[in-house]
Amino acid sequence: MILGSLSASGLSKSYGGVPVLSGVDFDVRGGEVHALVGENGAGKSTLIKILGGAVRPDAGRVVMDDVPLPLGDPRRIRVLGVSLVYQEFTLIPELTVSENIFLGRECGRAWLRREAMAREARQVFADLDVDVPVHARVTSLSVAHQQMVEIARALASDTKALILDEPTASLSGREVERLLAVVARVKARGLGVVFISHRFEEVFAVADRVTVLRDGRRVLQAPAAALDRPTMIRAMVGRDVSEELPPRAIMPASSTAPREVVLEVQGLTAGTRCVDVAFSVRSGEIVGLAGLVGAGRTSVGLAIVGATPASGTVRIAGSTVRFRSPAQALAGGVAYLTEDRKRRGLFPLMTTSANMTISRLGAFARLGILSLAREREAVTSAARDVGIRTAALSQLAGTLSGGNQQKALAARYLLGRPLVLILDEPTRGVDVGARSEIYALMNRLTAQGLAILMISSDLPEVLGIADRIVVMREGRVRGELARQAATPDTVMALATHA
Amino acid sequence: MTVRRFLSRYAIYVALVVECAVLALATDAFFTVGNLENVLRQNAFPAIIAAGMTFTILTAGIDLSVGSVVGLAGVVCADAIAHGWGLAPAIGAGIAVGVVVGVANGLVVTRVRIPPFIVTLAMMLVVRGVALKYTNARTISDLPPLLSPLSRGLPMATAMVIVFALAWVALERTAFGRHVYAIGGNADAAWLSGVRVNRVLMAVYVGCGACAGLAGVLVASRLNAGYPRAGELYELDAVAAVVVGGTSLFGGRGSIWGTLAGAFFIGILNNGLNLYNVSPYDQMIAKGVVLLAATSLDRWRTE
Repeated sequence: MILGSLSASGLSKSYGGVPVLSGVDFDVRGGEVHALVGENGAGKSTLIKILGGAVRPDAGRVVMDDVPLPLGDPRRIRVLGVSLVYQEFTLIPELTVSENIFLGRECGRAWLRREAMAREARQVFADLDVDVPVHARVTSLSVAHQQMVEIARALASDTKALILDEPTASLSGREVERLLAVVARVKARGLGVVFISHRFEEVFAVADRVTVLRDGRRVLQAPAAALDRPTMIRAMVGRDVSEELPPRAIMPASSTAPREVVLEVQGLTAGTRCVDVAFSVRSGEIVGLAGLVGAGRTSVGLAIVGATPASGTVRIAGSTVRFRSPAQALAGGVAYLTEDRKRRGLFPLMTTSANMTISRLGAFARLGILSLAREREAVTSAARDVGIRTAALSQLAGTLSGGNQQKALAARYLLGRPLVLILDEPTRGVDVGARSEIYALMNRLTAQGLAILMISSDLPEVLGIADRIVVMREGRVRGELARQAATPDTVMALATHA
Repeated sequence: MTVRRFLSRYAIYVALVVECAVLALATDAFFTVGNLENVLRQNAFPAIIAAGMTFTILTAGIDLSVGSVVGLAGVVCADAIAHGWGLAPAIGAGIAVGVVVGVANGLVVTRVRIPPFIVTLAMMLVVRGVALKYTNARTISDLPPLLSPLSRGLPMATAMVIVFALAWVALERTAFGRHVYAIGGNADAAWLSGVRVNRVLMAVYVGCGACAGLAGVLVASRLNAGYPRAGELYELDAVAAVVVGGTSLFGGRGSIWGTLAGAFFIGILNNGLNLYNVSPYDQMIAKGVVLLAATSLDRWRTE
């Protein structure tokens, strides 16, 4: 019987005088799933990094079955049975699945016993009831499978407590279900699981207990069965938030003059992820592009703005365009805001202000020389529009919370006054408070006539805010639903099978 | 402001001031007009090369061909004068050599998408080979004294000040400069944000080549000759100056003033060791140690 009772008490940590964690107690018992929730910046990441050894706390202690853990020593902490699966995976892409699982503790000394390792790896996956080819290179796997490899690696090393940092953030509906099933199976093996998530449905689906952090303090700890969404949201943001989705007025039907079609796509094809795609977005309308991860929605967005070579027709406000680069698309009034802020959106070493103006510097230059005063003016007013504090403007963008980063990127593209804004997963990794602000911003922008194409894997979000929903599967559009006709079932039916 | 925060911003300037203070106190020879002019003359052209190098490194690239460009630009400039060209056209010819090499570097980097390290390493060999072939490995000497006025302190310093002023304006006060930082910080994001990445990179390599070409002319003026092996290992001195000046080899972080301070920190180190009659071999060791120390400090302050 595995015990696996991990218990932390009085953890505190400050960075440069700013406390990010103040006297937090946290524990997880074997055979239990303990969900850790809170807004970005609440201290969740710091807490689990302390548990995993990546960060050394200023005060406090952590014990595993009454053995004090060597804080700040990830290697020895792992040996003592605590494994952390980060949001960014730590796998070596060019090695195979089983090589990754046994990295650092290979079987056999001079001569690797590859078959023994493969057999053991297969056994772990069989226990989890997932099917991952153990001899495949990690780089060839889907994100969901890579995550399974991370989990398998933890399980193959006598882990007693498994910490999962937002494991579902980049998974689609069916993959999420599979992950939650795996979590349940890990728990059944007697391990303690710490589960971080922004999605309440998941928390309620798997968690036995819930801890809410806010501003580095524990504000709530209770059995999941005793909690409901409003209570949790209130604990997270410290105030009442009606619900995450602000009401969206249904678009006036054709009773008044029908609005102009701003973006029209026909026969758009780019590789196998985007085949013969057709749809349109009107001025003032939010069209949701739904589907599972890998259905090709991002490819459609990239193809429209010329980031990938594509064939087919794209019309902006009636005239046919062919963008060969995102620069041309921006000049033509179409902006694409990436789903992958860190890799494809943000300049972490530049200030928030410079991040916002990078696409529009020409507007602040005279004879090629930038007017910093004019830039500051534009940035200040844009910051007000999207809801970023002025103080954050001179901060490095890499130090902002996910929500503020997303708002800064929105401001970058709004400064160019586009006709069409393509938002790819606009609320991924964004906390509840910022999320409702982003929805409110979308409502305001469409009221001013902007056309928004919103790519989203978050079903409640799509159903709540889109006026029309286009559903994709395997690179093709499989159907289009009016807001009134759309339910989770109708969308998922189109997204999942023929 | 914490010590670490202060150091992270001003480390190289503090080091430069301390270095000068130590030398001024320890030797009588350092703080004399003659020696300071000497320092300026010896370090103006390495600083100019490093200014161009700063741009390539800020984009997370590098230009290893600058030393060879110094050699070829010098012989072309000297040959032009030997053939009776005037001063301005000869200087122009030297700079043009750098521009041409920069265009070649930029084209291969942006079109063929080979890492700049490899492209410019190859170009380093090609350009040096051309310089040697062009002169049959002989020095072009016995020139009319057209170039030698350039080798004095004032013209050297003027050229350097102009280059650094232009570099500062380009980096801090133009869209181009922002784009340079953006590409070094996150090239993919820059492209999706509408930055014309290839154009910017072309300009960066052309600018770097032009700086090296100008430096080649200045070197020729000091020698009053075109020496095809001039500038060997200058690429490494330039990289060292940029890195000691606090610019990250991974791109996206650094400043042009840091490079100027870095170039002079290394130059004055050489000067000081010379004043103490330290052997050239020991000087190399000292430079290596300083480079390691500076980069270790960089690790410590960014952690």
